[in-house]
Amino acid sequence: MRDDPHVVALVTRASGGDHDAWNELVDRYSSLVYTICTRYRLSNHDIEDVGQSVWLLLVEQLGKLREPAALPGWLATTTARECLRVVTAASKAERLGTGLDDSVLFVDDAAIDEEILVAEQNAALRAAFAELPPRCQRLLSMLVSDPPRSYAEIHTELGIPVGSIGPQRARCLERMRRSDALAALWEGEEKINIRGGEPGA
Amino acid sequence: MRNDWDDDRLLAALGQALKAREAVPSWFIETGKNAFAWHNIDAELAQLTYDSQQDQRALAVLRSETASIRSLTFTSAHLSLELEVTANSLLGQLLPPRAGELEIQTRAGTTSTTEVDEIGCFSVEPIPDTPFRLRCRAADGTDVLTAWITI
Repeated sequence: MRDDPHVVALVTRASGGDHDAWNELVDRYSSLVYTICTRYRLSNHDIEDVGQSVWLLLVEQLGKLREPAALPGWLATTTARECLRVVTAASKAERLGTGLDDSVLFVDDAAIDEEILVAEQNAALRAAFAELPPRCQRLLSMLVSDPPRSYAEIHTELGIPVGSIGPQRARCLERMRRSDALAALWEGEEKINIRGGEPGA
Repeated sequence: MRNDWDDDRLLAALGQALKAREAVPSWFIETGKNAFAWHNIDAELAQLTYDSQQDQRALAVLRSETASIRSLTFTSAHLSLELEVTANSLLGQLLPPRAGELEIQTRAGTTSTTEVDEIGCFSVEPIPDTPFRLRCRAADGTDVLTAWITI
């Protein structure tokens, strides 16, 4: 999703002072920042500290991001660095010295890269979902709920005949597939696959 | 995720995406949204140009003496801020010297102010225990904001 025009537009609007665009960026990527914090096993207090730092740094950098579409990567790297800062400060305060747990300090790059891919995929899926008509959103929400809801329950709650649930599910998912958000994601992935397929890559 | 995914895989991926969003506490999202208040602060940024602590780390291989008072310098085009960290306060001076007002902004969201005297000296007490930055509004109209500081 490196060239997702929606993300580029959000960054441009936010750097021009549009608070709604900023809020949408935060909504879109807060789970990425949050998940990385939990990988470092930070307390809620430290997670809040890291979150504040990361978003403030982004506010300052908004106008300077040369590639707005590379935002998820920037957020992930910055979050990891801030987590490390907090973990290191905490270990100093407790005078743990060399007793620091290496597994906390070295959350490897591959794990962070994986979080970025998952975050981009999740953001695209949620955006595609948000564009669906309300009846599709209600149906799909019930189908993915944990624990799963039975067709009988869905029938009772949404008034859809049991025999129509399957076909409606298929139609709603097809709409999602055709959304701009997923198209942008898939287009980006094809580009990555092409690059990854180069000899010696 | 691939565009050839069948319905079951697409639905499962959607379930994960919605769940990941629900796992984020609302206070965490609010923190992020509130950060926008710092957008376009109309002050000149002063970057950290000297930190004795970093200097000592570099010298540690050569000398093994214990750390003295930590000193930091922040520099912008029109003004620099010299800071010294003592046990319970932060002493500073604006160079070239001038009077004004100093604002201490913490990442926790609190703001306090202190006076800068005619020879540019000020003190901050106690030292904030969260990252903070200093905004200096000099009487001559110079407005400078430092990068974030962690002591």
